[in-house]
Amino acid sequence: MESASLPLGRRHRGERRRSLLRPLAFMSLPMAILGLFFLAPMLVMLVIALQYGILSGQSGFTLTNFSDVLGDELYREVALTTVQIATAAMVIQLLLAVPLAYVLAFKAGRWEIPLLLFFVLADELNPMVRIYAWRMLLGREGLINSALLDIGLIEQPIDALLFSKFAVIVVLSTSYLTYTVIPIYAAMKAIDTNMFEAARDLGAGWWTTFRRVLLPLIAPGIFVALLLVYIPLFTDFASPALVGGTEGYMLGNAVNDLVLESGDLNGGAAMSMLMLLAAGVFAVIAYRLAKIKQLEQ
Amino acid sequence: MRAGLAARARRRLPGVASVALVVLVMVVLFGPVLMLALFSFNDSSIISLPWEGFTMRWYEEAWNAGQARDAVLNSLLVAAVVATASLVLGTLAAWGLTRLRFAGRGLAAGLHGSVLVVPWLIIGVAGLIFFSELGVSLSLQTVGLMQLVVTFPLVVAIVSAGLVRFSRSQEEAAIDLGASQAQMLRHVVLPQIAPSLAAAGIFAFAWSFNNFEISFFTGGFDQTFPVWVFSILRQSENLPVVNAASTVIALAQVLAVFGAWLAIKRLSRRGGSGGNEAISELMTGAVR
Repeated sequence: MESASLPLGRRHRGERRRSLLRPLAFMSLPMAILGLFFLAPMLVMLVIALQYGILSGQSGFTLTNFSDVLGDELYREVALTTVQIATAAMVIQLLLAVPLAYVLAFKAGRWEIPLLLFFVLADELNPMVRIYAWRMLLGREGLINSALLDIGLIEQPIDALLFSKFAVIVVLSTSYLTYTVIPIYAAMKAIDTNMFEAARDLGAGWWTTFRRVLLPLIAPGIFVALLLVYIPLFTDFASPALVGGTEGYMLGNAVNDLVLESGDLNGGAAMSMLMLLAAGVFAVIAYRLAKIKQLEQ
Repeated sequence: MRAGLAARARRRLPGVASVALVVLVMVVLFGPVLMLALFSFNDSSIISLPWEGFTMRWYEEAWNAGQARDAVLNSLLVAAVVATASLVLGTLAAWGLTRLRFAGRGLAAGLHGSVLVVPWLIIGVAGLIFFSELGVSLSLQTVGLMQLVVTFPLVVAIVSAGLVRFSRSQEEAAIDLGASQAQMLRHVVLPQIAPSLAAAGIFAFAWSFNNFEISFFTGGFDQTFPVWVFSILRQSENLPVVNAASTVIALAQVLAVFGAWLAIKRLSRRGGSGGNEAISELMTGAVR
């Protein structure tokens, strides 16, 4: 009896050890990298955000960095500009993406895959190249202005094309369109097209069908698109820096100027933490909404 | 008769509208980059009309100007290292998270996922502060490390999606039939997730190559290609040399995406509808 149970017990123990060793073997390296270069930098940034700057002459922990950022009239204006630009770009993209996704999912036929490939390509093109291309088109001596002058449509170059909110909205809308289209397209692909026929047979017009059938079914896709696009829109920094001028100055530029121009690491860290907090709250809401909508189906 | 025509016109209208919408969007997405490429051949040092004639000299200048070439080479080097390391780390974690049971698995998965939602600007600033607190000087190495952190969770997402798609019973069957762990991985798992691995590798490379914010904040004096373009545009007006370098990069990226599609289609052919599979792999990558 005893001699029979011994190897069995050992085998069990061996298995348990292996079931602990294998996760360790697979997960320890990735987790170590995340801990060292994701969690640790975030933690250090939080600590720096909670400390007095070197220039202030004081030491120890404080909330002044946060209250400085939150209390500053200028930053409130910048935040407002950022909300305006990000929201305008998001709305434009959704207005384009819903019909585009519809065309791709139901109307494109043999063009569906080539078009999707074009959207993937649009996403993979270097963002800096795209920003530069727009700058070349929109500038005072840019191609749009010089072409309009040449054909005599305008007499003075239109300055507002570049270094304006308009320019930032155009560049941002084209930069993230792929991320907006594809989740909505994926949601549409999952729809049973009999639903549309049923709606039509029951006498629904296209608007009713859109509002009562299509929109509820693609809502999870829209929330995913919001999650993927709205947060990066808020923190974008290259586009406003290159085409925004003073009018299109966004929060990302403010962080950059604090950290690299004024060398105020503590202020920059506080602002980054606030943006991270906002992004986190937004992500949780969008994620929940996407989940709830999926459960309802 | 006229009523019939009108009815036919109305029936065709959505078709016309769809084509118009698609054409408009494609022009807005690709038109500017095509113009940029066109003006890289214009024999004039300012980028505007009229057309002054064809030249290749901006390409020669871009190649000979050390900065442009160094920036591209830096980007290629970092992207190659980051993509390779991301594939290894990402595949390890994807296997661990989808196939093994252990305490804290949900937490680990959540941590990997949360990296993908944190904006790169904030990762870049955090990296800058972190390395300056540690007294580590910024270089391509710090860029590579911080890029690796945001890129390998993408590989985890793509490869996990591939692993979840096929049934574990095939792996159990292989083990029951006497295959070793290694044989099972090599002959059962690898062929199934090959398309996912290919897509993950390509996207990891593109993510690293295109990454601006992290390279900008954690690169110090070492410039990658996007950082070089940014710094040129901050200092001066538009330059034809930038057009030339950008055109080469854009062309390479077109070829890379097309090549990736063909490769993934080939790898997933055994699964049946190769084209659809390939496109869905590319999309999971594109959507992060």
